[in-house]
Amino acid sequence: MEIKTEVRKFIAENFLLNAPAETIDDAMPLITGGIIDSIGMITLMSFLEARFQLEFMPREIDATSLDTVERIEKLIVGKLAGRQADVTTRDGQQIR
Amino acid sequence: MAPDSPAIVEEDRVTSFSELFAQASVLASRLVQHGVQKQDRIVLVLPKNTEAIIAVFACLLARAIYVPIHPSWPKERIEAVLSGCAARLVIEADGPAPRITDRQTGVSIPWQAQPTTLPGQTSLPGIVPLLGADAADPALILFTSGSTGQPKGVVLSHNAVSTFVRWTAFEFQIRSHDRIASPSPLGFDLSTFDIFNMALCGAACVLIPAEIVWMPRFLVQFLRRGRITCWYSVPSILAGMLQDGRLAEHEFPDLRLILFAGEVFPGPGVARLQAAIPQAVCANLYGPTETNVVTWCRVPQKFEGSQQLPIGHPCPYATVMVDAESGELLAGGGSLMSGYWNRPEDSERAFVWLNGKQYYRTGDRVSVAPDGSYLFTGRIDRQVKRRGFRIELGEIEAALTRHEDILEAAVIAAEDGRRGTFITAFVRGRIERALTLVQAKAHCAQALPPYMVPDQILFVDALPKGNRGKVDYLALGRMAEGLNRGDQDRSPEVHC
Repeated sequence: MEIKTEVRKFIAENFLLNAPAETIDDAMPLITGGIIDSIGMITLMSFLEARFQLEFMPREIDATSLDTVERIEKLIVGKLAGRQADVTTRDGQQIR
Repeated sequence: MAPDSPAIVEEDRVTSFSELFAQASVLASRLVQHGVQKQDRIVLVLPKNTEAIIAVFACLLARAIYVPIHPSWPKERIEAVLSGCAARLVIEADGPAPRITDRQTGVSIPWQAQPTTLPGQTSLPGIVPLLGADAADPALILFTSGSTGQPKGVVLSHNAVSTFVRWTAFEFQIRSHDRIASPSPLGFDLSTFDIFNMALCGAACVLIPAEIVWMPRFLVQFLRRGRITCWYSVPSILAGMLQDGRLAEHEFPDLRLILFAGEVFPGPGVARLQAAIPQAVCANLYGPTETNVVTWCRVPQKFEGSQQLPIGHPCPYATVMVDAESGELLAGGGSLMSGYWNRPEDSERAFVWLNGKQYYRTGDRVSVAPDGSYLFTGRIDRQVKRRGFRIELGEIEAALTRHEDILEAAVIAAEDGRRGTFITAFVRGRIERALTLVQAKAHCAQALPPYMVPDQILFVDALPKGNRGKVDYLALGRMAEGLNRGDQDRSPEVHC
């Protein structure tokens, strides 16, 4: 499933009383728009970490980087790319 | 205290006591030269960073009153405070240095807190003689939720603040080698503990990046790496670290003092905390913003957690008694507020005089244990605490009904073991113009601080009312309970 679709689904189920996921558009402000609060951010972070097998670092997540579905996708894509790069480097070292 | 020892630690940036004093003096002089008068209100819309703390001391050196506001507050509410306290200056975050603006003339004052002399020079250029304030003069105003929709300003004198700070310094033996964490925003009375114990005892005030305060895992790392020795926060932050931050899996050899206040810390959480950090003295401090801390209770070493921790015995400076009829706790003494800013009627209602002593009506109902310690049993009104923040549900209702499509709103709060205080708003909108949930939440986010935005907003065709036309909150509680159990049939009148 596409990252955005999964994120939308999670937000609809957990923060919008199961409203249709399509009502959440890419640029809708989630944190500054009052839908997700600070405790909700922890819930969202745990979901993203578990679902995409990531571990966020302190400066990566805040009210800006998690504020829209679009930014969340960008964040995850970036992290996944970083992880891929790590794996490649490690593998390269092992070969040598 | 050594002039070169750290006063403020903000990640890699360390400000020594001599630097803090020099910078605060330069800024205070600039404020005085600009015409700031004794007791002028200077509103600080700043995150708790080095500049904000310099600004606090500059305001006090200039004999002005500092009024801290969290930058996450919506513009509307900030504006209400600025006009409510007739602010002379406002200091806001604006890139690397804050922006200072005169509210009356619109003139900007340059920040430039850095003195231009070399360290070691005895006199600083541009410093004007600064006069001391009187102990009874207001030092700060803290704005808290008001039931009519407008936040109320609690005026605290130099004496009230120093009474509390001196007691903590003595009771918990704060020393210059201590590193005090600073998890509470300046607008929270808890923050007087860290910034003023820093100044009083020569301890380091270690600032926590705002974005990690509610991120338990990062906060636990910070606690270890920052070699924090003293901690004072709302229980929710500690509970978060225990639940999601894996606090118990780490060791904190430096941590010797953990204080908490602002809301009930459930017994099992307290027991887990004490067991996780056995060497630390843990204590529950109690008191509303209007009185600061007035009672306290040290957590017993082998606290089981099967019972709620008492709010304890009175602090030495506090006078405390219980209204025999209502069970309400009345509190007075050295840390008592001067009153609400520019609200004589509210101030009059808040205080009661008994045997020549002034008491504040806390609104908290208590019972007395056989050993004389007090136990918190609930509120006498509709005030609730959420993550330690105090909320008048009436303020949320007032904010909701300011939306043109909302005709009526009623708000309730319930305790939920997993989620803490859970706030539900029932809204009756104009039928012809259906308001969506997202729009209603966005409206709340624009009108209220983040911690006051309801968790759940439910649209109803009518609010249940009693004989006299008053909203039946108990019926609303049952409706919310039925809905949250997933029992949709019980609440046919609710449409999401």
